[in-house]
Amino acid sequence: MSNAVIVRSSQSERRGNLLIIHHSLKRLMKKIKTSLFIIRHRWWVLLLTGIILLAAIIPLTNTKINSNLESYMPDTMLSKINNKKIGEFFGNDETMLLVLENEDVLQPATLKRIQNISESFMMNDAFEQVLSLFQTKNIQSDDGMMVVTPVVENIPEQPAEREALRESIRKNDLAYGLVVSEDFRYAMIMLTTDQQMPDVELMEQIHQIIGKYPGNEKVYMTGQPYLRTEANDKIALDLMVLLPIGLCVMLIFLWISFREFKAMILPFSVVVFSIILAMGLIPALGWELSLIGVLIPIMMIAIANNYGVYFVARYQEINYYHPGRNIAKIVQEVIAYLKKPMILCGLTTIAGVLGLVVHLLIPARQMGVVTSIAIAFALLLSLTYIPALFSIIGKSTKKQYKQVNEGFFHHLLSHVGKLATNSPKRMSIFFIVSFLLLSGGVFKIHVAPDSNKILPEDHGFNRAIRIADEHFGGSKTIDIMFEGDATDPALLKRIDEYSHRLEQNPLVGRTASLSMMIKKISMALHEPGEPGYNEIPEDNFAVSQYLELYGMSADIADFERFISFDYMHTLMTVQYQAASLPDVEGLLQDISEMLKDEPQPYVVGGASLIDKEISQSVEIGQYYSLLFAFLAILILLSIIFKSVTAGVMGSLPLVFAVFCTFGLMGWVGIELNIVTALLSSISIGLGVDFTIQVFWRIKTELMYTDNWQKAIDKAVRGIGRGITINAFSVMIGFSVLFLSAFPFIQSFAFLIIISLFLCLISALALIPALCMILKPKFLNDQRPTSKVKCLTSKV
Amino acid sequence: MKTTIISILIFCAFALTAQNAREISHKYMNATEVGDMEMISTINIYDAKGNVRTRQISTASRKFSESTKMLIRFLAPADVKGTALLVYDYEDQDDSQWIYMPALRKVRRIVSTEKGKNFMGSEFTNADMSRPNQQDFDYQLIGETTLEGRKCWKIKATGKTDALKLQNGFSSNISYIDQQTFLCYKIEYFDMSDKLHRIQYITDYKKQTNGKYFAYRMTMQNVQNNRKSEMIVDKFQSGSKLPENTFSPAMIDKF
Repeated sequence: MSNAVIVRSSQSERRGNLLIIHHSLKRLMKKIKTSLFIIRHRWWVLLLTGIILLAAIIPLTNTKINSNLESYMPDTMLSKINNKKIGEFFGNDETMLLVLENEDVLQPATLKRIQNISESFMMNDAFEQVLSLFQTKNIQSDDGMMVVTPVVENIPEQPAEREALRESIRKNDLAYGLVVSEDFRYAMIMLTTDQQMPDVELMEQIHQIIGKYPGNEKVYMTGQPYLRTEANDKIALDLMVLLPIGLCVMLIFLWISFREFKAMILPFSVVVFSIILAMGLIPALGWELSLIGVLIPIMMIAIANNYGVYFVARYQEINYYHPGRNIAKIVQEVIAYLKKPMILCGLTTIAGVLGLVVHLLIPARQMGVVTSIAIAFALLLSLTYIPALFSIIGKSTKKQYKQVNEGFFHHLLSHVGKLATNSPKRMSIFFIVSFLLLSGGVFKIHVAPDSNKILPEDHGFNRAIRIADEHFGGSKTIDIMFEGDATDPALLKRIDEYSHRLEQNPLVGRTASLSMMIKKISMALHEPGEPGYNEIPEDNFAVSQYLELYGMSADIADFERFISFDYMHTLMTVQYQAASLPDVEGLLQDISEMLKDEPQPYVVGGASLIDKEISQSVEIGQYYSLLFAFLAILILLSIIFKSVTAGVMGSLPLVFAVFCTFGLMGWVGIELNIVTALLSSISIGLGVDFTIQVFWRIKTELMYTDNWQKAIDKAVRGIGRGITINAFSVMIGFSVLFLSAFPFIQSFAFLIIISLFLCLISALALIPALCMILKPKFLNDQRPTSKVKCLTSKV
Repeated sequence: MKTTIISILIFCAFALTAQNAREISHKYMNATEVGDMEMISTINIYDAKGNVRTRQISTASRKFSESTKMLIRFLAPADVKGTALLVYDYEDQDDSQWIYMPALRKVRRIVSTEKGKNFMGSEFTNADMSRPNQQDFDYQLIGETTLEGRKCWKIKATGKTDALKLQNGFSSNISYIDQQTFLCYKIEYFDMSDKLHRIQYITDYKKQTNGKYFAYRMTMQNVQNNRKSEMIVDKFQSGSKLPENTFSPAMIDKF
């Protein structure tokens, strides 16, 4: 049906109903009065908006960034409790790994560099422990003596000396494969920090020390402080550059769509204002900005844009059909029409987003609270600030809207509307098949075992992890602390047995424990073949004396990472690699199985367990949030439309969008991590908004026609314009993020665009097709009198 | 010309100060040089939470022609009782050390290369247990102060090279030396970043028969990890009549 036919048809209907309109005008005017209030007090509205913004900007200056996700985890988390227990006896240090790469790290220049760097770290009190070729010990028996020396005492200048050193390192399992790779291509410097120094300062010190001793070796590093600073600096910088570009692209798109400056700038300003409020609320509520915080502006861009765009689209529609009406009148009519659906949309979107408050992660809960408030603010601005400014700026010509009305969207929506109404069953089958195909990927979804992948694969951080995994036994650690007399030979023998068993696991690179050290000392005290050689002594007095012996030969502090001060706790460290969460879970299961008969109490902890629990919290937390959101939306929609069918039907686009997005992640190989998991909240926010708008418009159209096909077709073309402009403006804006240097941001942009697209097609094709098939009563239950109300706002 | 004279005067002032500081330090070492001795002492090692690990040891030290020989034997706790350490401290070569472990009934020679590391797991270092070599340090008189009613010089000793600093486990220390008695009552040790690391309090000096002073209590407070160690002398005897063969590896297990 052409546009001209539609217009003629609506004019004819209007003539036929003129009498009824006349009788209903009084009722209508009462409704319009509420919107008059905003126009009458428009300057106050603008002033109040300015005051709220100013109040939000002031706390922004106090924003504190804390990208340490562990600090947000509830203290009741098992890994946190266990790590705290272990920390009581063995400290809560974080480890940084530095890897130097050269053809042969035993070359004098490379060794000199390692020596200079590691000694500089030792002289810097930011670092608790430093372990390199120059600090690692060589415990050996030499002519009846136990000699404890650093692995490299003197830098060998001659090839023969170098080969002798190589041979000595090969025999020293405290160094071989731990501070130097088996092919002597990589050397490791391990640093521990007590987390007292801020990450930025700590990384500056590390960079300064490395820079002070330049060389031909490639240097890679990894560790949580590095990850946090890189995430803070580089990702934030990338977003700070790309997001404004994206917003500009979005602005251009809005201008192309509306061809009106105010139509472009006002919805955009609502987005900016609501972002300011959301970000200002974080410090105002005494919270810190986490890595998840980057999602807040993104979420606001995607959601807060909607209400302003609906306002503008409706304004242009009325202006087009009623060119003679003045701006105040048009604004009043727009508010009168949009107020209810927009408030309902806003409430359900807020309910959906509030699902995050039951999330296990504190930053996700905080995001739920601030974005909900900011969405409410955006809604309020769209119903007050935009109309107030519109009434001040004045109206534009009909021509502008006409151009757009005949453009791409109009044709696209006409086509979609026809397709949904002419072949609703085929359309539904298409969605069912698409759903089955896409959501099947959910079973292939890969949960990230840590946050490492937020940096690119070729980033030094991840290179160092790969090198540690391939050449140094693994980049992850699990700590097992045994309670009880640590000098008890029976316990030490069991720990030794556990080490052997664990080292059979292909994921485990190496283990380290007091048993290993005691056996090492025994090798220096006994001759090969003599009883006691490479064995745990039979009585605990001997173990104590071994420790005293070591304390006199070297530094008993070397043992502090294995035995507590009171000798009542001993720690075993398992070094391993894991590519996925099931890898970590599998290893933990093996450990649990292995220790099931252990008579001494024990605690399993370690940094990778925190990562694992964060990943699990992301996964499980998201299930809770989604369940809460779906239930809230189902109930709200059922209440709004007084029909359970409405609740179920309205939830379908959300189910479709969320499952298909996660499914696509599975098919494409995008990991579910702390950020990507939370994208579903954006899908829910948008999906429910679009759905309500479509329901409302179909319901409105059905007030003056009983022809479902006609009503749905008109609804898709009418409200579809606003929805499509909304979705496309955000999609195009976010496509700029593909330019990011971080694949993490690229995949994030991909997922946002995909989820927006899925919400869009569900709202404009699935919902109309389902309505066409089911013809649900809740859309067609208005009394005749109320039908009239709508006619004035109908165009 | 004027500038040159001022420079020379400043240089001379520095040289005199350094000379005075070195002399003061030397006098302190001289006042506390007890020579041969036998003693029983208790070492209490406290962690940051106040848990204590106690070691009681007997020490005998005699100077012989080529070296000073020292025998340390553990008296308590039970698990290390009988463990003995024999040290030959040579003037011009590395120390020789042997240990006897009763659980193994074996004497083993050990080599210690780390003077700056902890002594028996305490906050004292091996370097603190021996007399410093004055040639390794630059001395500076940095001021005067009153410590518990005693007027003291503050002498700063700085390691001459980074290697020496690392070897000793500190970059510099400040000794509080009594202007009357030349006895030191407090030493502050600074780490490699020149931050205060440990504070040693030396008290209970008792004059011995040879006119030298010996401190019966030393406490070392690590201000960075809040650990503390104290060494209390339970019994002290100036001079030793132990024969030289007592200080031999073959005899170390005979007590």
